[in-house]
Amino acid sequence: MVDFYIGLFLASLIIALFTTRLYGLLLWYAINSFMLGILALTIGESIDDRAMIITGIITIMIKAFGIPYTLKNLSQKFKFVRSITPKIQVQYAIMLVPAILVFTFYLSEPIVMMIHTNANYVAISISSLFLSLLLMMEHRNVAPKIIGFLSMENSLFLLGITATNGMPMLVELGIFFDLLIAIVVINLLFNKEELKI
Amino acid sequence: MILIFLLLPSLIMFFISFSKSDKSKYLLTLTLFVVLLPIVKLFLLQKPYAVLGNYLVVDKLDTYVLLVSSIVGIGVTLALLTLDKHVKVSPKAYRKFYRFFAIFWIGLILSILANNMGIYWIGLELATLSTVYMIKTNYTPAAHKEAWNYMIVGAIAVSLILFGIILMYASAKPILGEDAMSFDLLLKHAKEIPSPYLFEIGFAITTIGMFVKMGFFPMNLWLANIERASFYPVAALFSGILESAVLIGFFRFSKIAMEVNHDHLFIFIFVYTLLTIFIVSFLIFRAKDFIRLFSLSGIEHMALISMFWVSGAPFAALLHFGAHAFLKPALFLSAGVLESNGKYKIAGALKGYKGRGGTLFVVLISLFLLSIISLPPSPMFFSELYGFGAMITTAKHGNHILAMIGAILFLLILLSIIFYRFIAIYQSMKYEGEIKERKVYNIELFVLILFTFSLMILMLPTTIAYLKSIV
Repeated sequence: MVDFYIGLFLASLIIALFTTRLYGLLLWYAINSFMLGILALTIGESIDDRAMIITGIITIMIKAFGIPYTLKNLSQKFKFVRSITPKIQVQYAIMLVPAILVFTFYLSEPIVMMIHTNANYVAISISSLFLSLLLMMEHRNVAPKIIGFLSMENSLFLLGITATNGMPMLVELGIFFDLLIAIVVINLLFNKEELKI
Repeated sequence: MILIFLLLPSLIMFFISFSKSDKSKYLLTLTLFVVLLPIVKLFLLQKPYAVLGNYLVVDKLDTYVLLVSSIVGIGVTLALLTLDKHVKVSPKAYRKFYRFFAIFWIGLILSILANNMGIYWIGLELATLSTVYMIKTNYTPAAHKEAWNYMIVGAIAVSLILFGIILMYASAKPILGEDAMSFDLLLKHAKEIPSPYLFEIGFAITTIGMFVKMGFFPMNLWLANIERASFYPVAALFSGILESAVLIGFFRFSKIAMEVNHDHLFIFIFVYTLLTIFIVSFLIFRAKDFIRLFSLSGIEHMALISMFWVSGAPFAALLHFGAHAFLKPALFLSAGVLESNGKYKIAGALKGYKGRGGTLFVVLISLFLLSIISLPPSPMFFSELYGFGAMITTAKHGNHILAMIGAILFLLILLSIIFYRFIAIYQSMKYEGEIKERKVYNIELFVLILFTFSLMILMLPTTIAYLKSIV
């Protein structure tokens, strides 16, 4: 079952790379985060780690529902451009994505050799990290760049879950807190008028 | 209890920043002085001292970094009092600047005192995010663009740091469990780490993240552009405090990496820092304004500190670090006065200051400019002397003395390019250009004198003895 969820996690990120509408991108980010939360719940349950289960629930609440909802509101408030055409054309992106996947599987081989549990998942989380970077690079608009940054956070979270069977609870909560601060800062950055002299 | 006192100024500052009274800015400035009391107490305590379980532990190194950062913080908040005399800033932006400064300070204390890699990262991320908004307090399209730039590149850098931390944690978790996050336990069990290669990959990725954050190769110009676009106190905060928080992380991570495999660490850091200085020296040669010049010079000094730290000269690194932390904010705040109301000309920048205050200002800037290029009796002169000496001593034991002498000679050539540029700029400031009447405020002079005294204290035998006891 974990294989299925992790496949959906990766698939939602790949689809996000080809999305040309902002709300579509937010939806795929929400699905990506939802899968991450479900993964944390499933792995947490299988290894009987209560902290990871709590983290999974918080992930679903904040990342799958809270952040996409807030970003949608922000996009309406500040009238974002909703057509977000990637700079890289689709035919090239179709070739680039598998190339990144193969490259990262090859790149992460020495790391994977040393991590005995969930080795392939570690490779997938590293490739998601590269795909998130690609998402940030292929758009001119700020909104997809923010989603790219948030997806990168998701990839690191997945790496934490798979490579280490979860990080200490305090650290996980701290990362969530920082994410919320990031959303506050993003909101303030969009507000262009408030500091006018 | 001590933690409450350390965080108290930030909390007071945060709440006062909501007040719309004109006088609140004086109160906001004074609040940071309160932080000195718990720091003095920290100096007197037996170390290591647990402030919050095993998560926040005070040792000699972080007490030193905390004291240096708080003096810089006090200086910057004092200089903020006259910010509106030099640049156009709205009262609302002013208040928000302090609000985010308070959050920045909390993040900074967390990252400096952290004995846990995760807490260190949380503190650093918090400090990074709060500075994003400080950049935007300058209401110009350039600052707006650079704030976004900082948000995105900063986020990538901080994510790289977290990526590396996860790998380091994964490498040591089989033997330490959840304690694999603790710096002290990792250091103690460094030789027993079952996957040293995984740890080294993690360390390399974390280091690249930290180096990107400090503007090392290949991101040499991003920080300079951001500091140019923001108000000068932001640049002073970046160079004097935020980079200190990044460096203390580098010190802690590299101490563990030294135990795992010193040769790998040394070659990686040495080549990386040398490459950074090579590029930065030519960028400094082409710099055409004060802020970019000082920002690029900051990168050069951060690279030197990192180089000394891994080359067996930690004392030199700490001395250089302290000197840079005082000198660079002093130069940035002076640049704010020199470029008052958008006058960016280097030629004749030191002309036109009248009275005793004006003369003192010119003397102080001259001293700072000559100190930053390591002319004696600057603490940087001594730290470089110690640093290069220790590098040769270390090389003797490793049988690569000729390579090290060659590298030092190459480094000296690069440093002489920087030296030449600074001297040329100083001469242009003093002897070229027109005389225009300029003004410096007493509070700014007070801040510069505070930094001068701090630099002098750094050279006292007791301070030197304390720094030596850290290493």
